[in-house]
Amino acid sequence: MVFNSITFLIFIGVFFPLYFSLKGRARLWLCFLASYLFYGWWDWRFLGLIATSTVLDFWIGQTLEQTSETNKRKQLLWLSVAVNLGFLAFFKYFNFFLDSFQVLLTNIGYSGELGSLQIILPVGISFYTFQSMSYTIDIYHGKIKHEKDWLRFATFIAFFPQLVAGPIVRAKEFLPQFERERKLDHVRIIVGLGQVIWGFFKKVAVADSLAPFVDQCFTSPTSFGSLHLLIGVIFYSFQIYCDFSGYSDIAIGLARMMGFDFPKNFRTPYFSKDFSEFWTRWHITLSSWLRDYLYIPLGGNRHGTFNTYKNLMITMLLGGLWHGASWVFVFWGFLHGMYLVVQRLLGTYWEQFLQWIRTPKVVRQLINMALVYVFTCLAWIFFRATDFENALQVISGLGNLESFNLSQVTNKFWVIKGFVLIGILVLIEVSDFRFDYRSLMVKSVVFRVASMSVLIWLIAFMGTFDSNAFIYFQF
Amino acid sequence: MKKWYWLIAIVVILFVGDRIMGKLLENIVLSSQFRYSRMYRGDAAADILLVGNSRGLIFYQPFLEEELGIKTFNLSYNGLPADLTYALVKDYLDLYPKPQLVLIDVSLCDRINKELINGFATYASQSKRIKELIRNQDAKVAGGLEVSWLYRYNSEVFQRALFYKNKSDEDWLLDRKITEEIKAKLTPDYEFIIKYPEAMPKQLGETVAYLRKQNINVKLVLNPYYPPFVDHITNLDEFIKDIEVATQMKVVNYATAVQKEAYFGDFQHLNKAGSKVYLEQLIKDGVIDFDNK
Repeated sequence: MVFNSITFLIFIGVFFPLYFSLKGRARLWLCFLASYLFYGWWDWRFLGLIATSTVLDFWIGQTLEQTSETNKRKQLLWLSVAVNLGFLAFFKYFNFFLDSFQVLLTNIGYSGELGSLQIILPVGISFYTFQSMSYTIDIYHGKIKHEKDWLRFATFIAFFPQLVAGPIVRAKEFLPQFERERKLDHVRIIVGLGQVIWGFFKKVAVADSLAPFVDQCFTSPTSFGSLHLLIGVIFYSFQIYCDFSGYSDIAIGLARMMGFDFPKNFRTPYFSKDFSEFWTRWHITLSSWLRDYLYIPLGGNRHGTFNTYKNLMITMLLGGLWHGASWVFVFWGFLHGMYLVVQRLLGTYWEQFLQWIRTPKVVRQLINMALVYVFTCLAWIFFRATDFENALQVISGLGNLESFNLSQVTNKFWVIKGFVLIGILVLIEVSDFRFDYRSLMVKSVVFRVASMSVLIWLIAFMGTFDSNAFIYFQF
Repeated sequence: MKKWYWLIAIVVILFVGDRIMGKLLENIVLSSQFRYSRMYRGDAAADILLVGNSRGLIFYQPFLEEELGIKTFNLSYNGLPADLTYALVKDYLDLYPKPQLVLIDVSLCDRINKELINGFATYASQSKRIKELIRNQDAKVAGGLEVSWLYRYNSEVFQRALFYKNKSDEDWLLDRKITEEIKAKLTPDYEFIIKYPEAMPKQLGETVAYLRKQNINVKLVLNPYYPPFVDHITNLDEFIKDIEVATQMKVVNYATAVQKEAYFGDFQHLNKAGSKVYLEQLIKDGVIDFDNK
C-alpha cells in the first residue's frame, strides 16, 4: 500500500476513528494488525520475514539481558546481526554479488555461466532490518533495556507509517513512547495533519511532476542538448528530495497524529555549506545510524588522519551500497566519501582563500552552498543512472556546450511547471525559517485553514496522480 | 468540541474555493486564443478543417488563408489520438456549419494517448464527448474531475490555453532546421516502426464515415518525413494499406514529397519554410481543391 493511493486514504479513514476510539492493549493490537495489513497489502508472503526478524530479535534482546557471559552475549549479538544482514544480503544483494563474481571470473578467463535467482526485493527491508538490529546492538551495549511486551516490540518493528521508507526510528526513541498515554490531541492533529499535507504536496505535486522530464533525460541522454540535461539533473535533485522527504513528512505527521514523536529526517539539505553539514540534513536517521553503528565502531576519528579517512570512506561506500545493489550506488557513496575527505583536507585553505580575497560572509556562504549543491548533483547523476555508461552519457551530454540553448529543450511546459513548483517549494521552506509555520498553524485558525487549503488546491491543480511509488521503496 | 470546527471550515472552504477557482479558470480558458478555446466559444467557423497530431501542425494556416483567401481551422495537437479526434470533430460539427473540406494527416493513428485525453479535461465542461472518453478510459480520473474542478486544469492543455491567452496559436510549428546530431542517428541499422494500435485506424474510419455521411469532402494524406528517414521506416506501406482498408479511402502519400533538408525541423516534422512548400504542393495537386466563389 502506498501513501499516494485511494486504498491508503480508505485505510487511514477507517484506522484513525478506530484508533482513537480504542484504548490500551486494544489500540496496540490495532496498530500491530493495521501495520501487518499495510505491509501484507503489497505481498503477504513477506510478512514472514518481518515476523522472523521480530521474533528472533525479541528473543535475543531478552536473552542478552539475562546473560552476563561475554562470549555468549557476543554470539547472540552476532546471531542477530547475521540473520538480519543475511536477509538483506540474500534478498537485496545475492544477484548483485553473483553478477559481480561472474564478471570477475570472466575477466580471469572462466567462461561458465553462474546463472541467477529470481528474487523479489521485499519493500522496505533495508529500513526495518536496520531498525531491528539497532535494538539488539543497543541492548548489548547496555544503552537500553529489553522490551518485555512482545506486542509493543512487534508494533515497533512493523509500525506502518515508517515501515517501508523510514525514518529509521531506534528502539530507544520509540519504545518508551508506548508508556505515554495518547489521547486525541488537538495540537498534535494540527501539526501532524499539516505535515502530512505538506508531504503529499512534495511527493504528488513536486516529485511526481518532475519525474517524467527526468525519466526522459536518463532514458535517452544522447537525444538531448546540454541545457535539457542540466534541467533534468536539477529536476532530479528536487525529485529525489521531495519524494523521500515527502514520505518522511507523511510518516512523521501520521505518527504525530497518533501520539508518537519521530526524529526529523531532512532539514533543507540543499542549504548545506559543507558536506559534513549535508549529512546532518539529508536522511538524518540513516546517516546517524551509520555514524553510531558503523563509523564510530570502526574507530571514527580517534586513530589519526588516515584511519579517519578510511573509516569515512568505508561508511560512505557501505551507505551507498545500502541504497541499492549496484555499483553506481557504491560509486555515489564513494563520491560522497571523497567529498568529505577532500573537504577535511582542503576546507581550511578554501575558507582562508575566500577570506583573503575579502569575500563577505554571506557571499562565502552562498558560494559554499552552491558548490555543495553542484557536487551533490554530480553524485546524483550516478545515483539515478541505470549504469556507468548511462551516467557518463549524461555527463558528456552536459559538456556539449553547443547545444546549450533553449530551442534544444523539448517539453517546455514541463520545464515551466517544474520550476514553478520548485519555486513554491523553496519559497515555503525559506520563509519557514522566518515565520515558523508550525507555530503559526497552531496559533492562528485562519492561517491553519488557509495554508492547508492552499496546499490541497495546489496538489489538485498541479499534482501528478499516477500512483507513482516512492523512490526509496526500492531501497 | 468547538476547537475542532476548523476541520469543518477546511472542508467547506476547500469545496467552495475549488468551485470558484475552477469557474474562474474556465473563464480564462474560454477567453484564450488557443484553438480549442476558440472552437468551444464559437470563434472557429472555417471553410477547411485541418486535423492531425504534431505532424498536422504543419498545416500552416496563415499561409493557406493568404493563398486561398479562405478561413481555416486546425484541430491538430501533439500526439492527438484518433479517438480524441473523433470527439473533437463531432463537437466541431455540432457547433459550426459544415466545412467544405476536412484534411486529415493519417499519422494520428500512431498511438493511444490516455494522458492527452485526460489533459483535455480542461474542456470537459464544454464537451460531453471528452467527458465520456475520460470516463471510459479511467474512472478514477473521471471521479477526480467531479471531486475537484481545479483538477480539470491540471494539464499541459491548460498551460497552452494560458500561453495563448492573448496571442494566436497559428504559428505553432517548428521554426528550426534539422541538426547534425539528429541526422547522425540515421545509422545503417537504425529502424523505425510505426506502432499503430489496431483500434486507431478503425477509429479514424469511423471519423471519415461520419464526415462523409454529412456530405463533407474528406482528404487523407500522409505528411512528409525527412527523406533519408523514410528508408528506415520498415512498415510504411503496411501502415498506409491498413488505413485505406479501415477508412475505405485512398491515402495520398506525401512521405517523400519534400526533399530539401533545410525544410525539416527533425525526422518527422517540416519546419515553417517546409510547410509552405508542402502546402503549395497540396494546392497544386488539387488535394486542397477549394472553391471560394
